[in-house]
Amino acid sequence: MEKKNIDIDVSKLTSNCFRQSKVKGECMLQMRVPGAVIKAEHLKYAVEIAEKWGNGDFHLGTRQTLSIPGIKYEDVSAVNKFLQSYIKGVEVDTCGVEMEVDSNGYATIGARNIMACIGNKHCLKANVNTTELARKLEKQIFPSPYHIKIGISGCPNDCAKGHFNDFGIIGLVKPEYDYERCIGCGKCVEACQGHATRVLTLTEDKKISKDSCCCVGCGECIVACPTGAWRRNPQEFYRVTIGGRAGKQYPRMGKMFLNFVTEEVLLKMLANWESFSADVLNHKPVYIHGGHLIDRAGYYNFKDKILAGVDLNPEAEVADHIYWAETEYRANIHVK
Amino acid sequence: MAFSLNYQKIDDILAKLSSDYDIYAPVRLVGEGKFSATDRIQYDKITRAEQIVYNEKSDFSPREIISPITQTLFYFTENEFIENLPESRSIIIFARPCDINAFKRLDKIFLENGDFADSYYKSRRDKVHFALLDCKGGWESCFCVSMGTNKTSDYSLAVNFNSKTVEIEVNDSSFNKYFNDIKQCSYQYNFVKKNKIEVELPEIRPEQIEKISDLQIWQEYGQRCKSCGSCTAVCPSCSCFTTRDISYKENKKAGERRRVWASCLHPDFTEMAGGHSYRETAAARIRFRTLHKIYDYKKRFDTVNMCVGCGRCTDTCTQLISFATLLNRLSQEIKKLSVLEEGVEYVSKSSSS
Amino acid sequence: MCQNQVAAKNHLKPIAYQVEQIIRQTAQEYIFRITCSEEVKPGQFYEISLPKVGEAPISVSSITANYLEFTIRKVGKLTNYTFQLKAGDTIFMRGPYGNNFPLEKFKGGNLIVLAGGTGFCAVNSLLEYYYQNYNQLKSLYFLTGFRNQASILYQNRLAAYQAKFTQTIYCLDEEVKAGFKQGFVTDYLKELPLNKLQDYYLVIVGPQPMMDAALKECKQLNLALEKIWFSLERRMSCGIGKCGHCKIGDKYVCVDGPVFNYSAIKNLID
Ligand SMILES: Cc1cc2nc3c(=O)[nH]c(=O)nc-3n(C[C@H](O)[C@H](O)[C@H](O)COP(=O)(O)OP(=O)(O)OC[C@H]3O[C@@H](n4cnc5c(N)ncnc54)[C@H](O)[C@@H]3O)c2cc1C
Ligand code: SF4
Ligand code: SF4
Ligand code: FES
Repeated sequence: MEKKNIDIDVSKLTSNCFRQSKVKGECMLQMRVPGAVIKAEHLKYAVEIAEKWGNGDFHLGTRQTLSIPGIKYEDVSAVNKFLQSYIKGVEVDTCGVEMEVDSNGYATIGARNIMACIGNKHCLKANVNTTELARKLEKQIFPSPYHIKIGISGCPNDCAKGHFNDFGIIGLVKPEYDYERCIGCGKCVEACQGHATRVLTLTEDKKISKDSCCCVGCGECIVACPTGAWRRNPQEFYRVTIGGRAGKQYPRMGKMFLNFVTEEVLLKMLANWESFSADVLNHKPVYIHGGHLIDRAGYYNFKDKILAGVDLNPEAEVADHIYWAETEYRANIHVK
Repeated sequence: MAFSLNYQKIDDILAKLSSDYDIYAPVRLVGEGKFSATDRIQYDKITRAEQIVYNEKSDFSPREIISPITQTLFYFTENEFIENLPESRSIIIFARPCDINAFKRLDKIFLENGDFADSYYKSRRDKVHFALLDCKGGWESCFCVSMGTNKTSDYSLAVNFNSKTVEIEVNDSSFNKYFNDIKQCSYQYNFVKKNKIEVELPEIRPEQIEKISDLQIWQEYGQRCKSCGSCTAVCPSCSCFTTRDISYKENKKAGERRRVWASCLHPDFTEMAGGHSYRETAAARIRFRTLHKIYDYKKRFDTVNMCVGCGRCTDTCTQLISFATLLNRLSQEIKKLSVLEEGVEYVSKSSSS
Repeated sequence: MCQNQVAAKNHLKPIAYQVEQIIRQTAQEYIFRITCSEEVKPGQFYEISLPKVGEAPISVSSITANYLEFTIRKVGKLTNYTFQLKAGDTIFMRGPYGNNFPLEKFKGGNLIVLAGGTGFCAVNSLLEYYYQNYNQLKSLYFLTGFRNQASILYQNRLAAYQAKFTQTIYCLDEEVKAGFKQGFVTDYLKELPLNKLQDYYLVIVGPQPMMDAALKECKQLNLALEKIWFSLERRMSCGIGKCGHCKIGDKYVCVDGPVFNYSAIKNLID
């Protein structure tokens, strides 16, 4: 241990988005990058902070934050002051978050950085614009003191690992089949077989029959079809998984909660997260994984509260039950 | 004679035309493209000018209007085949010179090849009038000038859409009656004279075919090609189909004989009973399609090439194969072959002109 | 384009005929005798066209004034289905399509016919023609091979041909049988008195590997390749030059063939 005379309120430091370092006297800044996309000009802030106050290194945060290690505690307020324009540029100007930006840095770490894959601005497979969605959600959840982790992926590949977040959001498409345009080549069948859930078959008439029950909404069939017989339904849909987490005791993958909901439904549902958390936590925003929170409330209770006032779109499906499956490093977790 | 009119007027004229013709034009299907947040532009019946996508190349060609992707040829019972010849009204198709020229390519196959005319194709084709769409310079993947398809005289109307007005050249006097009392103007259709890319077509001697088919270039493209057949589906001059019978679920004894488009890029195109196929590899299939488009057809009919240089195959290929680049590379390879064979120096087109 | 033309004949429309007789040849191959008095030339084919089932090109294996015969091998959807037909049933067909063997050209010449397996079906009408018009040729050599005893076709005609033609060589690939040599039919080409024949024409019909082997043999024997005719088989759908399936290079097997002179196809690659 380094022999230094340091006196810092670590929890305050953390909620200001600085992480205590093992190196006594130092901490690491975590800059939010909602949806993992910012303008290149905003990256300059990270560079300057790293060079001026950090140890010169730069870490790509595992939650897609821009992380700058090696900041001295005595520099925290200077860094916060410098951060003002970054926070304004990213949170207010880019995401439209309604907040006063002062020189004290991030007001809370509660709602964590929203992770996302690059989405349909770039990716051939993506079904939605993950960046825009992340920004809309940022506006909704930040700066909330209640903990929530969200990961957004453009398609069921889930490259952003939403399955290991409290809420995993996955962009879906509902392909529509145009019988007359189909030439029976079977390319969609191959694609669904190779990439997805094998729900398509070529009939005796050399047309397609689809077992819609298990279509994951990836849209591989649309991309594979040479004649445009599979049409991209312009309505975008989402799947929502809940309760995913890593952790030392019992990591688990999130389970499907909603399927084929519209963006409107998704946003309204997540708008209820804060009041649901407050309810379960007696208005004390403590750090707790969303999955535990749902466990504590009970799934049916969670479902009622989070869907309160939400008008589901006709295509929407909601999980009746959730059968969690954790990796139990610590046994009998549900036996109290 | 040419006329200038506003959108209100052109809609009036389209309304009048609609009582005599089915009018087809490229329309936009918003958000229905292959990839998310992209549109699809495809031919459909229209009634108003604002439906016409005049400033973008369509993803699919107008061929499907005359040769539908799925077409019922006969209704059958166990002891009878009843013809289903399309009863169609006269047709106006808004199309560009390349696509109009592509119909001439299809005509050769459907109306002339093998002595018999195809009744189904003919019954609709006979009724087609073209309204020429202004290319406004064309697009980066076009190579119509190289294929000699940038011009046509086969059009009844030529149309230039601007943001507020539409200029129309009437090239067929039977259409004059629709333009009474319309302000005349001096519009004349502008044929594209130069594309961004130039394609040099290979000179092929029949006895070189074996060597050409052995070229390494096919292996290379064969590795890249996924045999999806999109290029043949968007092509305005592709004509292949397969016949299929289906029997109705309710009454197994009755049904339909249909034909559906086929693609020479699909592995089963040449498959025979027992599973043997004459072109087993993507390399062989690309070679076949390429030579069909720029050699075989021309040789057979002693006429122009089948490919019209619309560039849609390049636009659609998800493996980023440019047909124009392929053709240019092929020409170079074939020149090298000729040099090897004859020891003749060749003078490249660009340096000689 | 001319308006209002009287509807020309729809060449895709199948016509109903009657099955007169079905003659079993092997377990896999039946002869279908169809009542029909259309004018057909040796080498041509029909599209057999059954509602619900589809269509398949089948060579005319025998031509008479009152009936045509087709010898069909059961290999897939349509061909299997024909085996359910009975005498008296209706069968739909359209044709005849394709070119034919150049009888004019062969006139007065020495003809060698080399058939492998079901290739026999495509040349049988030619052999029958010369059986009846034998004076049109100087000589006729007929070589054919089958896999084994069970796959021998036209047993009775084999004997008749043997009696009439200049020379016949029959062989079996896999089995030994009196009257048959053993081995591939292509191996016996060299047993013909080729150097004595000043002028000859060669017809080669069979599965692709057999035809490839035969061509190789001809090259080895230094035969005049432009005197060889093949009858080709390719995947077909329309039979009338529209669907594109049968195209090789600039040729359409259904309309330019199925009979091709070597010189017409030597520069074609599938
Ligand atoms: C000119 C010509 C003459 C022929 N003559 C005879 C003959 O006399 N006797 C005989 O038994 N067979 C003959 N064949 C082969 C016969 O056409 C095929 O065996 C038959 O088409 C198989 O059809 P299927 O529906 O039973 O098989 P499937 O495998 O179910 O056929 C599927 C499709 O492929 C097509 N197809 C499959 N194999 C062939 C093939 N070899 N040639 C053309 N199209 C094919 C069929 O028409 C059908 O559309 C001939 C082929 C050609 C091209
Ligand atoms: S969207 Fe559905 S049908 Fe299409 S490939 Fe994906 S899982 Fe298969
Ligand atoms: S890929 Fe398209 S054309 Fe091919 S079978 Fe599927 S839907 Fe039909
Ligand atoms: S079989 Fe259709 S073109 Fe030959």
